[in-house]
Amino acid sequence: MFEYVIFFFFAAVAVIFAMVVITNRNPVVSALSLVVSFFALAVMYVLLDAPFLAALQVIVYAGAIMVLFLFVIMLLNLQHMHEPATHPIQQFLGYTSSAAFAIALVYYLLKYAAYNVPASPFYTDARMIGVALFEAYIFPFEMVSILLLAAIVGALLLSGRVPGQRPNAGDEVAS
Amino acid sequence: MPFDATDVALSVLKIAIVLLAILNVTPIMVWVERRGSALIQDRPGPNRVGPFGLFQSFADALKFILKEDIVPDAANKLLYTLAPAIGLLPALTTIAVVPWGRPFMLHNLHLFGRTFFQQPRIFEPIVADLNIGVLLVFALASLAVYGIVVAGWSSNNKYSLFGGIRASAQMISYELALTLAAVSALLVAGSLRLTDVVWKQTGYFVLFDTVKIPSWNIFSPAMWISAIVFIVSGFAETNRLPFDFAEAEAELVAGYHTEYSSMKFALFFMSEYMAMTTMSALIVTFFFGGWSIPYYVPPATFLGFLLTALVFLAKVSFMLFVFVWIRWTIPRLKYDILMKIGWKLFLPLALANLVIVAFFIAKGWI
Repeated sequence: MFEYVIFFFFAAVAVIFAMVVITNRNPVVSALSLVVSFFALAVMYVLLDAPFLAALQVIVYAGAIMVLFLFVIMLLNLQHMHEPATHPIQQFLGYTSSAAFAIALVYYLLKYAAYNVPASPFYTDARMIGVALFEAYIFPFEMVSILLLAAIVGALLLSGRVPGQRPNAGDEVAS
Repeated sequence: MPFDATDVALSVLKIAIVLLAILNVTPIMVWVERRGSALIQDRPGPNRVGPFGLFQSFADALKFILKEDIVPDAANKLLYTLAPAIGLLPALTTIAVVPWGRPFMLHNLHLFGRTFFQQPRIFEPIVADLNIGVLLVFALASLAVYGIVVAGWSSNNKYSLFGGIRASAQMISYELALTLAAVSALLVAGSLRLTDVVWKQTGYFVLFDTVKIPSWNIFSPAMWISAIVFIVSGFAETNRLPFDFAEAEAELVAGYHTEYSSMKFALFFMSEYMAMTTMSALIVTFFFGGWSIPYYVPPATFLGFLLTALVFLAKVSFMLFVFVWIRWTIPRLKYDILMKIGWKLFLPLALANLVIVAFFIAKGWI
């Protein structure tokens, strides 16, 4: 009973703040709403007996990625973005396609997912997750780390200075 | 799970104890900070209100409550009001997973003409003994930056914004080193539970089959680097001097809380001291043996618990004094040095130390 109260409260929080993210014009408010939405999602993980996943959700998404988003938004000082007006045909297409998608989503959720939530679908223990990652899934795990390394090197290469060349005055501010 | 009134009552009691303790840290620490800085700078400090100026904090609190609460016209009103509360929340809750005493047996307590605990039960002096305890600490610590960032942005003031931007960059950078340094302590304990981390440190290292040293993590050479990295990163995470770039009064007026006044400012003040207390408790738990007493095994009774709780309190108080001590001894660094230390020194050091600790564990030396 108590779990249902928590579930519906945080489900409502997650959905409402996700809507604020896309409807609010202010990028900072949007980013903060996304944080709240992520946090509510972490509560869902706790209810599904996966506290490890919940903690990672908060650390990685709410704690690290969204702070970086906010940092960039604040650094560029995106306050009031004026979007170009959209054509009525564009609006019509957008609304109808998203409505169709929403109807399809609700239909399939009601048909397949809503009534048989698996009892404990996740590895709940940090030790078990570690064993699974480093034994059964060692190859994908290493591939992902190589991919991330490549991304880091790529980002450094694209944004870094050429050795020996003096930076422009404007570059100093960004670093 | 059946509803157990005693369990709920014990939980409420623990929450009340911890909450009262951490809320009362601020006035005491303000006094310690002001008298401590005076001691270090060879001047009297506040000594008029009460004995040794002890009631100065109450006078300050009264003043904070009575001051006019100013909200700038250009500020984002909602976020401006929410920011102090957002900052306070992680500071208040993180302490929940830190154990503050030895567990003890409760049985046959006669109170108000009734007998409680007829079946003996264990009292765990920790609010929430989660098996992901440490992860919760880092999850909440990573949310701590939002209070500062939101305050800085919503004030609509350039100095505040600079404070917020600096704080976010600084806290992201040092979170990594902090986490990696803590991981070495977790490796030794073999668990993410903070109670296990403390229990592991109640044993002894035996040197040359003769000398017994308490197995606090700080006493094993493999942990020295991570202890230093953790403590210094802790200073950066709590925005204390020499890393208080979010405030930096010489450059940014008062940084992220330039526009704040009255109780809203006081809340930032409180969350800084609470974060400091939590960080001290974590440093003590990870590296200085938590509540354990060297060369003495406290009994599993109420007295034993009380003794360990006092020892824990003493250790945390000493760490808090170190925070004050360093603040008034070491001047503020430059911002680029801060970033260089974080990324180019502490992160590689913490990573290398992790490998060393793993090697020690594999060899069975820890």
